[in-house]
Amino acid sequence: MRVSSSMIFEAGATGISRQTSALLKVQQQLSSGRRILTPGDDPVASARALEVSQANDVVTQFSRNQETAMGILGQEEVHLAHAEDLLQRVHELAIQAGSTSLTPTARKAISTELRGTYDQLLGIANSKDAAGNHVFGGFKSETIPFGGSIDALMAGGEIDYQGDEGQRTLQVSSSRHIEISDSGIDVFRRIPNGNGYFATDYDAANTGTATINAGSISDPAAWRGSAVQDVEIRFTVNAGVTTYDLVDTASGNSLLTGGAAPAPLGSQRSYQSGQLIQLKSQDAEPAFDLGGSVSITGNAASGDKFTVEPSSSQSVFASVAKLIGALEAGGTTPAADARYISDVRTGISNIAQSIENVVRVRAQVGTRMNEIEALQTMSGDMSVQYQQSLSELQDVDYSKAITELTRRQAELEAAQQSFLRVSQLSLFNFL
Amino acid sequence: MGILNIGVSGLNAAQSGLLTTSHNIANASTPGYSRQQTVQSTNVYLYSGAGFVGQGAHVETIRRNYDQILSRQVLSAEAGASEMDSYLSQIRQIDNMLADSDAGLSPSLASFFKGVQEVAANPTSMAARQAMLSASQALSTRFQTLDQRLAEVRDGTNAQVATQITQINAYSSQLSEINHRVVLARASEVGHEPNDLLDQREQVLKDLNKLVRVTAVSQSDGSYNIFIGAGQPLVVGNQAYQLKAVRAPDDPERVTVGLVGPGGTAQPIAESQITGGSLGGVLRFRSETLDQTQNALGRIALSLAQNVNDQHRLGQDLAGAMGQNLFNLSSPRVTASSNNAGSGAPTVAIDAASIAELTTSNYELAYVGGNYQLTRLSDQVVRNYGSLPQTVDGITITAGSWAPAANDSVLIQPTRDGAHNLSVAISDVRALAAAAPIRSSATLGNTGLGSIEAGVVNGPPPANANLQHKVTITFTSATSFDVVDVTAGSTLASGVAYTAGAAISYNGWTTRIRGTPSSGDSFVVESNVNGVADNRNASLIGALQTRSTMNAPSGGQATASYQGAYAQMVSNIGSKANEVEAIGAAQQSLADQSTTSLQSVAGVNLDEEAANLLRYQQAYQAAAKVIEIAGKLFEEVLALGR
Repeated sequence: MRVSSSMIFEAGATGISRQTSALLKVQQQLSSGRRILTPGDDPVASARALEVSQANDVVTQFSRNQETAMGILGQEEVHLAHAEDLLQRVHELAIQAGSTSLTPTARKAISTELRGTYDQLLGIANSKDAAGNHVFGGFKSETIPFGGSIDALMAGGEIDYQGDEGQRTLQVSSSRHIEISDSGIDVFRRIPNGNGYFATDYDAANTGTATINAGSISDPAAWRGSAVQDVEIRFTVNAGVTTYDLVDTASGNSLLTGGAAPAPLGSQRSYQSGQLIQLKSQDAEPAFDLGGSVSITGNAASGDKFTVEPSSSQSVFASVAKLIGALEAGGTTPAADARYISDVRTGISNIAQSIENVVRVRAQVGTRMNEIEALQTMSGDMSVQYQQSLSELQDVDYSKAITELTRRQAELEAAQQSFLRVSQLSLFNFL
Repeated sequence: MGILNIGVSGLNAAQSGLLTTSHNIANASTPGYSRQQTVQSTNVYLYSGAGFVGQGAHVETIRRNYDQILSRQVLSAEAGASEMDSYLSQIRQIDNMLADSDAGLSPSLASFFKGVQEVAANPTSMAARQAMLSASQALSTRFQTLDQRLAEVRDGTNAQVATQITQINAYSSQLSEINHRVVLARASEVGHEPNDLLDQREQVLKDLNKLVRVTAVSQSDGSYNIFIGAGQPLVVGNQAYQLKAVRAPDDPERVTVGLVGPGGTAQPIAESQITGGSLGGVLRFRSETLDQTQNALGRIALSLAQNVNDQHRLGQDLAGAMGQNLFNLSSPRVTASSNNAGSGAPTVAIDAASIAELTTSNYELAYVGGNYQLTRLSDQVVRNYGSLPQTVDGITITAGSWAPAANDSVLIQPTRDGAHNLSVAISDVRALAAAAPIRSSATLGNTGLGSIEAGVVNGPPPANANLQHKVTITFTSATSFDVVDVTAGSTLASGVAYTAGAAISYNGWTTRIRGTPSSGDSFVVESNVNGVADNRNASLIGALQTRSTMNAPSGGQATASYQGAYAQMVSNIGSKANEVEAIGAAQQSLADQSTTSLQSVAGVNLDEEAANLLRYQQAYQAAAKVIEIAGKLFEEVLALGR
């Protein structure tokens, strides 16, 4: 083929410039450490890298949220542990106080300590976190959650809760929003009194020395299904024989006969101190079943009354305050002693409920912290995985690139040298 | 006598050969030059008794070595190569802009959602709120910056179109001038070609063809007629027509090519007809890539702003008020064609409910035969409507003040301004609505084991006017409940059958009750007064980061998140750049091959010329020798007489 002289130069220059640009690209890849210099180099990998980097950002964000949640829950856990310790101490003190042989000074000492404990508990319930938010205020973190005077509580009132039932959550994984707070109402306020199903009480006008315990539930389903849940146990002493009637407070009818109370003496149950009083129909009595029993000990006077009511919510503070009230009530009559014993006993059972509730919340917090710990491990693994993918997508393979650099360099040198040789050939050199 | 004449004719022929060879050597590097050769032949013979006696040589003409077919091949390949070259240099600007992972959209998008998560973690922290607000501003600035850069590229393409049109006009004037001279030269010297003039014309045609693909048709008088696009004349004989850069009638931002008619008015040429050359490349880049990219960016901005606003407005700010819009977003751009006979333009708005269906396309709405004809320009899907308003692809078109005459049209660009006009609407960190406006609680005296969920506000905004009314849900038995709006003093429902975990929806909220509530139990849903530590709404805004909110088919599910849509945009540009580069390389090697082929015919080889130089030199010397011998012979004859 005929070759024109300008073609020799043009082809040489084109070849060299092509080699140079290829060499430059490898050099850029090596110096930046990136395989993809612009999306045009590998559009699919570029788009994929954007998606992976977002996934990585999200996992990193979740990791941060996990740390935040861990911190907040850790704080709450400390508060709850402290509250639990205090309530345990209250429980111990209440058991100490349960002895009638206690001198008024000893009672005073106990009540003084309880007043201190009450203040500490209130302090915990109203505590703030590092950011100045009330830990147990729900969403209303700027409002002091619990308020009210202890005297009002001792007189049978309830604590004021100014917070709400909001539970803050934080997203700690793609599918999990974890709770990072518990409202004060859930921790300190909504605690069933008595044994958790029903609460027992004595009538203030009782003159005997009989005392009632908190009772127990043997058949929770029967309790929930029972139409009658408010019951009065009314004592009659006739000719030295003590009998009692079970009266449906709502209708005023005797449960033992179904007719209006009081039931005829013959139909009443006979009383023995300490014997279980089954709250269900016995023998020929018309059918009723509250699913549980109570126990009354001591001598009941005629006309003495005890009540069984469904449990209602009672705050930790009211339980402690009522205990203090019982300790500070005074009185030395046998009936007053009986009231004291009953009150302390009720107090013990209410405090036990409180402890149970705080332990329950604490266990929940612990479970959440466990869950976060598991998620933290997973997030860490995923983050490593994503970074590896990103590196595979974007980063240059040095050994490959250096090999390529060497090859391109050799090619460029060959192009330059051959061009030099060819371009020097000319017939005019010999003319 | 004869010998002398023959010697002189040989001398002349050799001299002519030397001249031509020297011309070739001198023009070895002249662009477009074709090697010339003398066409030499014998003079007319003389008859003598001994037969036909030759009478020497003469030069018939000087011919250039040229191949029309190869030359056309070069033109065609070069038009393609220069189109791709100019496309590539344009798209590289965007490709490079997106190459830096720190400069693209994705870091700003990530930090915006990081800010939202900060607020979700610490709803009462002013520092966290400030971080979110700053990140929002940074995001809108980033959108604007990217859009600004694209707008600069657009200005660049407009300027290029204008410059290239000026150049094209210069070339067509030159062509008409050369045409004129070729015709004159051919007329005055019949049978001879004005070689250098033809090469010059070929070179100008080649340069013009690199700007825009043209068709050259040879005429019998030796002139070329040059046509552009679908046969619009650029040069006819010695008459050159002018192109002019004009604003497109339906889009004043678009500088396009117009052909100046006899009356001096420029009539726009359809851009799809202008192909090849760097002008074709720029136009193609603008319609294929730039419009798409700017629209895609705008679509992300619009979707994000609308989705975040919708959720934000369902929340409650730190002052207890319902959330406002977090972002200001722009309306679709509507441009009435300057050719319209009617007045006004329709109103087009983003349809919040179907925003997921928003496309990156532009639309043309024409009033044809009493119907509204909407053409989606990306795929030319045509929809006909008897009346307006209509909602389609995430936009609602309302006639408004538009009084169209027949065949009037408007251009609708739903997302063009999306990125440019995105801004943050609030400046007070307390106005960030991190909380939900409602809360729920179980009444303390409840004896059953029922619990109520926190509840969510039903979208889309605006929220129900009674949303924050205090509502009680009271169980009249274990299996049914009444719902009472305490604030309004009205009963919303009574005797509703209870199903654990079923949605309970009134006054614009939805909640669920689980477990076994007892008769007489009640639950309350009410205003979240002072709920400053609530982060529910912030969490919901944060969840938008990974949710698919875009790219839904009509009436279907969304298929892309913001980052996904952005990745798609980057991938589109990358693929296009890749494709253009590959096609460009193929076209270039085709052009190189054709050029080599043409050069092998028309190019000057200096070695060959050196040989020719020697050849003609020797021929010249030989012819001179003939004359010398003729002289000597004559002297011999004269000597005879002495």
